[in-house]
Amino acid sequence: MKAEYLRYGLENLLHRRLRSGLTVLSILIGIAAIFALVSFGFGIQNYVNTVGQEAGVDKLFIQARGIGAPGTDENFQVTQDDVEFVGKINGVAEATGMYIKPVEARNGRETKFVFGAGYDASKAKLVEETFTVKVEKGRQFRGGDSGKAILGHNYQVADKIFKNPVALGEKLEINGQKFEVIGFYEEVGNPSDDANIYMTYGGMESLFPGIKDTYGYILVRAEAGVKAGDLAETIQERLRKHKGQEKGEEDFFVQTFEDALATFTNIITILNGVLALIALISVIVASVNTMNTMYTAVIERTKEIGIMKAIGARNSDILFIFIFEAGMIGLVGGVLGVGLGYLIASAGGAAAAAFGFGALQPAFPPFLVAGCIAFASLVGALSGVLPARQAAQLKPVDALRYE
Amino acid sequence: MLEVMTDYLRFVMGTLAHRRLRSWLTMIGIFIGIAALVALISLGEGLRGAILGQFGFLGPDVLGVQAAGIAYAGPPGSGAVDPLTEDLTDKIRRVPGVEMAINRYIETGTMEFNGHSDIVFAWNIPEGKDRSIAEEMLSLKVAQGRLLNDGDSFSVVVGNGFTDDEDFGKPVQVGSTITFKGVDFKVVGILQKEGSFIFDTAIIMNEKVLKDNFRRGDNTVNAIGIKAEDVSAVAGVKERVEQLLRRERNVKKGEENFTVDSPENTLQTLDQILFAVQLFVSIIALISIIVGGIGIANTMYTAVLERTKEIGIMKAIGARNSSIFTLFFIESGFLGLVGGVIGVLLGAGIALGGAAAGRAALGSDLIQAHISAWLIVGALAFSFCIGLAAGILPALRAAKKHPVESLRYAK
Repeated sequence: MKAEYLRYGLENLLHRRLRSGLTVLSILIGIAAIFALVSFGFGIQNYVNTVGQEAGVDKLFIQARGIGAPGTDENFQVTQDDVEFVGKINGVAEATGMYIKPVEARNGRETKFVFGAGYDASKAKLVEETFTVKVEKGRQFRGGDSGKAILGHNYQVADKIFKNPVALGEKLEINGQKFEVIGFYEEVGNPSDDANIYMTYGGMESLFPGIKDTYGYILVRAEAGVKAGDLAETIQERLRKHKGQEKGEEDFFVQTFEDALATFTNIITILNGVLALIALISVIVASVNTMNTMYTAVIERTKEIGIMKAIGARNSDILFIFIFEAGMIGLVGGVLGVGLGYLIASAGGAAAAAFGFGALQPAFPPFLVAGCIAFASLVGALSGVLPARQAAQLKPVDALRYE
Repeated sequence: MLEVMTDYLRFVMGTLAHRRLRSWLTMIGIFIGIAALVALISLGEGLRGAILGQFGFLGPDVLGVQAAGIAYAGPPGSGAVDPLTEDLTDKIRRVPGVEMAINRYIETGTMEFNGHSDIVFAWNIPEGKDRSIAEEMLSLKVAQGRLLNDGDSFSVVVGNGFTDDEDFGKPVQVGSTITFKGVDFKVVGILQKEGSFIFDTAIIMNEKVLKDNFRRGDNTVNAIGIKAEDVSAVAGVKERVEQLLRRERNVKKGEENFTVDSPENTLQTLDQILFAVQLFVSIIALISIIVGGIGIANTMYTAVLERTKEIGIMKAIGARNSSIFTLFFIESGFLGLVGGVIGVLLGAGIALGGAAAGRAALGSDLIQAHISAWLIVGALAFSFCIGLAAGILPALRAAKKHPVESLRYAK
């Protein structure tokens, strides 16, 4: 019996091809938009999780407060004294300071303003692990490499930073001094980090003689078995007392790598959620369209409904037929919408990669696909409830008489 | 002609009212989308205006010089690679067309008051005859106390933002003593509320005081402010200052490591970013209007089908294809327009209510709704056009119907 109803519903949909098609189209558009947006949200979360796992749960940052990008506010810096003090705290395996300053890089006749970072050659492993990048070409620093530089990924690519790519062994002019390029870091996936220039302490100190021992931030590795979150609190407390500052009024802050990532992920999730909500409006409109289509279908088929009732169809059967029809519109819209959304998101990801945001890629977990299709079917079926009730409650005699 | 039009309108309104439920549902589709778009755009406009208002307070006759570096890294000049120096200001003063050039120092530091501390920034006001011009240029006015005079060595004026007790537990008042970077200062004046953090959370001190206490032996400046003698002289001044700086800093044209720009131009970059964000959000909201348009097309196809016999009769008594087309085309446009009117009203209500709720919840004046006339007109025109566009194909189908077959058509 039910199978017959299903066939009846499908036949009706196919019969009114144009109207069903337009209704499906309206659901499809909304679902495609939501699917594409949410897939980017998942993609970014995946990326952040992977970075978090690679960097490990044992890394912490200590950063000066102040105004602007880390390390650029010269009035607030963390110092070598802080590094040494933190290094001695129980549970800290190692700590190292990083210089960070804007620099002018010059290749041939072109100049660009980028961030220069300086780290301790002997602590290169901690730096690489924290930022989850490795030298992909050339080599890491050795002691005494003060006239040498390792560049971010984008320097080897033509037209990204400089028109002419920079090659290993070439000289790059940084703030007027020539540095030999001994390596390139692998791609991070955002244009700002991929334009960084890395030098040794000696290199940065030769560019900025006044900078010695004042860092943009301190990287810390916790000892095995020590919880980074607990260690952050200990460091905050001890360093505060060491610097003679009041609680809550420190001029620095300690953050675990995980917390730093979580803040970032939260912002992304909220932004993505807002956009998805706006896209949801179009699904609401589509559900109104579906409702409209179903009301029309009920009116057109009034006589048919009368006949069905006359030969014994129950109200619940009629209700089921129309809700099923509406649900089918939603299902087809959902499947096609996910397909279109997939294409849009993939194209968006490719475009982002082309602009240097390789980290910004969509992800398509199976539950997202299933969820979007189920959601579309549900919206369709719900939109059919009121029209179906109207159909179910028709009086058989009136319906038969309807012209 | 007018009579024909009113006839059309009467017919159209009649059928719209007749198919009440379907017309309503179709219009709901449009007005939800229009309401969302109007609400988002007006809130976005308001927010953009408020953010730009944080920076745009200088007149059109003012230019700012900054060393090139990484923008948005923090206070002006903090991302600079090769900072500007004080000797340049003296040289700029002698450029023809320049009324005044002032050094701008911006110093961030910890301020202590009432046993609490917070990170704030201080900037300078020049001494001597430049003082009144600078005060005028920045339109500095006090709400309480007085502005600074020459010789005020340990006196400062502070922004209005310190007068609530949020940051320091109790309000800073005229006569309070505050500590900035370890130096005690007496507050002699409190600025009027400006609605911009550049004034509201700043400490303002005499140039000599700032230099002597915090910049001893340092000849770099964060920025140089230039006031031209006249608005019409600004372009010429900009060119001459650029020439001077290229010579002084020894760089070729096209390779400048500094910028000379009006604050308005600098703001354009920020404005562009905000605009791009707003555009993206609007495009997503636009999708729902397109979906609404599909709803109109659907309703119109149904209407054409239902009125097949009517169309046949009209054609039989002499209606031309073009008249039939116009009939359905206009009906469709009206579905859009009426939906648009409701949508604009609803959207404006949402925006104003949302902004008021946001201000109450976050306590930030940044959340504003700006409903401009062009937005209303644009939204109405757009909804009408969507309706018309959605009606083209159904109206064509109606126009092309064969009179005889249509007459024969039974429901």
